[in-house]
Amino acid sequence: MGGREANVVLLDENGIRSDGRKVNETRKVTIKTGVLKNADGSAYIEFGGNKILAGVFGPRDVHPKHMSNPDTGILRVRYHMEPFSVTERKKPAPSRREIEISKVIKEALEPAVMLEQFPRTAVDVFLEVLQADGGTRCAALDAASVALADAGIPMRDLVCACASGKAADTLILDVNNEEDQAGQADMPIGYMPNLGQITLLQLDGVLTPDEFKKCVEIGIDGCKQVYEIQKNSLREKYFSSGDNN
Amino acid sequence: MKNLESKKRYVLPGDVITTAPLRLRANVTLEGKRILSTAIGLSDVSYDSVRVIPLSGIYLPKVDDLVIGMIKYIHGNSWFADINSCYEGMLLAKDVFGRGSNATLGEMKASLDKSDLILARIANSDRTREPLLSISGQNLGKIDSGELVKISPTKIPRLIGKHGSMIQTIESSTNATITIGQNGLIVVSSDETNGLLKALAAIRMVEEQAHLADLTDKVKKMLGLNGV
Amino acid sequence: MVELSIIDKLKRSKILDLLQEGKRIDGRALDEIRPLSIDTNVIPHANGSARVRLGDTEIVSGVKVQPDRPFPDMGDKGIFICTAEILPLAHPSAETGPPQPDVIELARVVDRGIRESGMIDLSQFVLEEDKSVIGLFADSVITDHDGNLFDACSYSSVAAIMTSKIPKWEIKDDKPVMVEGEVSDAPITTIPVSITMGRIGEFIIIDPNLDEWECLDARITITTNSDGNIVALQKGGSAGFTFDQLVKCSELSISAGPKIREIIKQATQSTL
Repeated sequence: MGGREANVVLLDENGIRSDGRKVNETRKVTIKTGVLKNADGSAYIEFGGNKILAGVFGPRDVHPKHMSNPDTGILRVRYHMEPFSVTERKKPAPSRREIEISKVIKEALEPAVMLEQFPRTAVDVFLEVLQADGGTRCAALDAASVALADAGIPMRDLVCACASGKAADTLILDVNNEEDQAGQADMPIGYMPNLGQITLLQLDGVLTPDEFKKCVEIGIDGCKQVYEIQKNSLREKYFSSGDNN
Repeated sequence: MKNLESKKRYVLPGDVITTAPLRLRANVTLEGKRILSTAIGLSDVSYDSVRVIPLSGIYLPKVDDLVIGMIKYIHGNSWFADINSCYEGMLLAKDVFGRGSNATLGEMKASLDKSDLILARIANSDRTREPLLSISGQNLGKIDSGELVKISPTKIPRLIGKHGSMIQTIESSTNATITIGQNGLIVVSSDETNGLLKALAAIRMVEEQAHLADLTDKVKKMLGLNGV
Repeated sequence: MVELSIIDKLKRSKILDLLQEGKRIDGRALDEIRPLSIDTNVIPHANGSARVRLGDTEIVSGVKVQPDRPFPDMGDKGIFICTAEILPLAHPSAETGPPQPDVIELARVVDRGIRESGMIDLSQFVLEEDKSVIGLFADSVITDHDGNLFDACSYSSVAAIMTSKIPKWEIKDDKPVMVEGEVSDAPITTIPVSITMGRIGEFIIIDPNLDEWECLDARITITTNSDGNIVALQKGGSAGFTFDQLVKCSELSISAGPKIREIIKQATQSTL
C-alpha cells in the first residue's frame, strides 16, 4: 500500500479518476431485495464491479445448544468468496481474510439488530461474493443490512457502508480495485445513519490526523448515498404498486 | 394530551415515526426522544401509543393466537410441536387428559403422535421458555387429514380477507376445507384432486401478490370465477 | 422451521396419491421438466460464466482458466475440473464446512458427464507437452435449492464452458506468459445434456423438485451427447430400478435431451 508505482493514471489533470469518476463520486450501486426463495431474507448488490449475494435465516435454533445464549439471540456472519470471483482462482476453503471480514461485518451489524427478544436462537447472515472488484466488505455489509430487514429481523437502524481513501495525494470516495492496489490509503466505513454511529472502520495505508478526519467525513457521505439506494430497494419490494392504506 | 389522528405510513427500520411521548407497542424503539421503527411495515399512531404493523418476519407466538402445529416428539409429559417459529410449542398432557391424570407414553402416543397436525391456541408465551399450547376448546385438536402449506405469517390477514371474504371465495370455489393458523401454517383438505391443486395455487398467489391492489380479481380469475 | 423429514410422511402419501392420477404436486406431467432459463456472462471478470434457473433451483457457475502442470500420465491433455458447493443461503438446512458426500457426488457426476462426452477438446490445451498445459476449472455454486441439482449444475457448467474465452499463453524462459488481448473460443465438440429421473413407487418422474426428491426411492442421472449417445450414468438412492424401469429412463433421457440442448444452444448462441 502507498507510494507504489502505478501503470495506471489514478487521477488526471482534470481531477478525473482511472474509471472516469470524480473524487467524491461512488461507483454505480444497484440493490435488489428478496431474490432467493428459500432464505428468510435476501438481497443482491452490484457495487461497481462487485457482485454480492446476501441470504439471512432466522431467528432459528442453534446447534449445538451450548453455543446459544440464554439471554439473547446471537448473530452469525459468514463472508465467503466464490472460486471464480477473483482474478486468480480461489480455493473454496475459508481464508484468514474471509474469517476476519466475517467478524468485522458481524460487529458492524450487531449494534443495529435487536435480538434480545429471541433468547436461545441465532440469526445467520451469509454473504457470497460472486465477483470482486475492490470494496467487497462494504458492499457485502450493504447487502447484509437489506437482507436482515427483508427477513424481518428487528433493527434499530440500517447499516450502510462505503470506503474512502487516498490516491495520487488526493482524498477520494469509494476506492476501486486499481486504487486499492496502487493508492495510498483505503478506509472502509460502516455507518448507522439515523443513530449517527460508525460501526465498521478499518484502515490500510497512511493518513495524517487531519486527512483521517476528512476521510471519515467523505466516507460517511458515501455511506449516506448508499443508504438511499438501500431504502429504495426495500420500498420497491414492500411498498410499491400496493394498497396505500 | 393532544388527540393524535390515527394515520398509517410506510416505514423502514430506523425511520423516525414521532417524537411525541407515546406508549411503545410492537416493533418500535425509543432513542432519546425519537420513536423509531424497528421493522419494514406500516406505522400506526394512536392517541396514546404507537406501533408498526410488520410486512415481513417470522411468527412470534402471541397469547390467544390460533396456530397450526406439527408434533415433533414427546418428552416427559408434554408433546413438543413445530409452530413455524424460532421456538417449539409445548402441549402438556394434562391439557388433553385432565389435571391429576398420569398418562403413559403409550397413551400419549395414541392420542397424538409424531407428525400429527393440531390446531391449537397459544395459552402462554414468555421469552424464558417454550410457548404453551392448548387444544381444549371448540374446534381445536388434531387435524385428521390434509396438505400442510407454509406461507409468510405476515400474509395471513390477506389470505383471510375482510370478514373472511378471500378464504371463503377460495373454499367455496374449490370445495376444499382450509384451516388457517396465525403462524403461517395452513392445512388444505379436499376430496377432489383438482380442487386441492387449485386451492394450493390460490394460496400461493395470495402469498406472492399480497401487496398488489387487484389481488382479489386475480384470484377469482384463476379460480374460474370471471365476472363474479 | 418446519423440518422436511417430518413433512415427508404427509407429503409422500399425497405425492403418491397424485401420481396414481398422473399428476404431480406442482401440476406437472410425469415427464415434464420445469421452466429452464440460462443467462451467460453473468460474471464478466471470469473467463466464462452462467446462471441457470430450473424451477426454483438456481445455480451460478464460473469458469477460470489458468496455466497448470499436466497430470503425470496425461502430458498431452489440458486439465479440466468441476466443483460444486451448496451455499448455506440456498436452503435452511444447508451447512457450512467441508463438502459432504452428496455434494462431492454431485460435482463428480457433473464432471463425468462433461468429460466423458469429450465436450472440451483438451488436446488443444497443451502449451508444452508434459510440462505446461491450460487448466479449466468450472466451479458451480447453488444459490437456491429446490431439487435436481445434478441437471441444473450440469446445464450451468456447460453454458459457462461454452461461452468461455480462453486467453493465449506462450512459453518464455520456460514459463507460460499470457499474451495480452488475444482470446479464443473454448474448443467445444459436443453438447452434453444431463437428465435426472426419480422413482416413487412404480412411477418415474423427470426433474424432481425438492419435495419429490425427499420422497424418491431411487434416482438416475443420464447424460447424452449431441449424437444421441449415452456418455454417463449415475444411479443414486437406497432402493433399486427394474430392468424395464431403466430402459424407460434411458428412453426418457434421449427424448428429453434435444429440447434442453436447444435451450442451451440459444442461450450460448452456439453454432454447433
